[in-house]
Amino acid sequence: MAVAALTGCAPVAAAPVTPAATPSSTTSATAAARGEDIPVAAATLAPPEEPVPPVRVQVAGRDVDVTVVPVGVDRRGAMVLPEDPSVAGWYRWSSDADAARGTTVLAAHVDSLRWGLGPFVRIRDLPDDAEIVVTADDGARRTYRVDSTERFRKAALPDRVFDRTGAHRLVLVTCGGTFDPATRTYSDNVVVTARPAGGSG
Amino acid sequence: MRTPIRIAGVVIGAGALTAFGVAPANAATPAPAGVSVLHAVPDTPVDVWVDGERTLDDFQPGDLAGPLALPAGTYSVAITAADATDDSDPVIGPVDVPVEGDRSYTIAAHLNEGGEPTATVFANDTSAAPAGQGRLTVRHTAAAPAVDVLAGGDAVIEGLENPDEQVLELPAGTISAAVAAAGSTDPLIGPADVQVAEGVNTIVYAWGSADDDDLELAVQTITGLGGNPNGINSGTAGLAAEGGSPVGLIGVGALAVLVAGGAALVVARRARA
Repeated sequence: MAVAALTGCAPVAAAPVTPAATPSSTTSATAAARGEDIPVAAATLAPPEEPVPPVRVQVAGRDVDVTVVPVGVDRRGAMVLPEDPSVAGWYRWSSDADAARGTTVLAAHVDSLRWGLGPFVRIRDLPDDAEIVVTADDGARRTYRVDSTERFRKAALPDRVFDRTGAHRLVLVTCGGTFDPATRTYSDNVVVTARPAGGSG
Repeated sequence: MRTPIRIAGVVIGAGALTAFGVAPANAATPAPAGVSVLHAVPDTPVDVWVDGERTLDDFQPGDLAGPLALPAGTYSVAITAADATDDSDPVIGPVDVPVEGDRSYTIAAHLNEGGEPTATVFANDTSAAPAGQGRLTVRHTAAAPAVDVLAGGDAVIEGLENPDEQVLELPAGTISAAVAAAGSTDPLIGPADVQVAEGVNTIVYAWGSADDDDLELAVQTITGLGGNPNGINSGTAGLAAEGGSPVGLIGVGALAVLVAGGAALVVARRARA
């Protein structure tokens, strides 16, 4: 099976997909009873909307300037990350670089045996309002301001990190906490949440 | 509930427990159901009546209406010719459609295997799909015998009969799908590219009539079903441990010694060769 290739930290080739939207069913029975329009359309497959992938993320003053590539999930359902800690993965089914809603999730290894420490080690202590710039595949740049930096036990990473609804925000994720050499894993995820700083920068 | 509720031909009086559109809207009321209607009877525009009210006017074959938010209850649905003045002479029904709150249904008006108009209520699977996957639901609503569904030439669904369905969960992507008579690989419909989008239930209806050579696909999508990854393992070396983890650093050091030792062995073997 093709999915068997999505193991470990191997980056996944980019493929355009349709970002999931929220279910919409706003028509009410009362509306129908009042004779208001019920949506009717040909039952044909609409062409997929192409997402705009983020390709670069920079953190001002922290020497963080990394390439971003689209990633998916591995066989066990974990988010795949590029093996090189100086490349971040964009969870390709999170919001895209042009999104109006939901979270755009970018994550990178904090370190690796092969490459050593990665740039994302420096996002773990960002002050509130620190500036983050994301560049999209179409060249558009979008500036964000840090709202919060939180640590979660990895097993308790909250679903809101991957929330596809609500006001748009950027989430950067890496590892922190203590390290277990037996499993070669950290205890925590560090989650930086940032809000758009009022349009493109 | 992946088995469709067969309601065709079942007539149980007027039966509507909840008057259309007058359910109380207090906090204790469960979320309404989302009900869509698919017209899959070839060549015949119709009107759809719910509890005696004309709800869809001049509804065309191949069209999908809704979703309509309906409070839980049982609704009487009748389908008439498009020029009917009331629902007293239905082509299909009236049938009682029980609806549970917070569920998704599609009422399909279609032909049975023998080519007679009928209706089937399908409960749509709106549970979260595994992360990175989409759901493909295939429904046989055509005047045709049992079919197989082929993906990339292989049968992924076998012996599907009118009005049954089968649900698959697949990695997101595009598949080349065809519908063939059961046991055959000779396509009756397709092959056609069907996109299985992440977090979307793509519902494909085979409809029409094999005898009239007008079999077609109708497609309905239900979005917003994406599951989340179950974790992010974003570090492997222990170089950035917080709160002190000397064991990790020792582990890395030991590994470096092992790697160096292995390299030395390789060199030694090559020297001997």
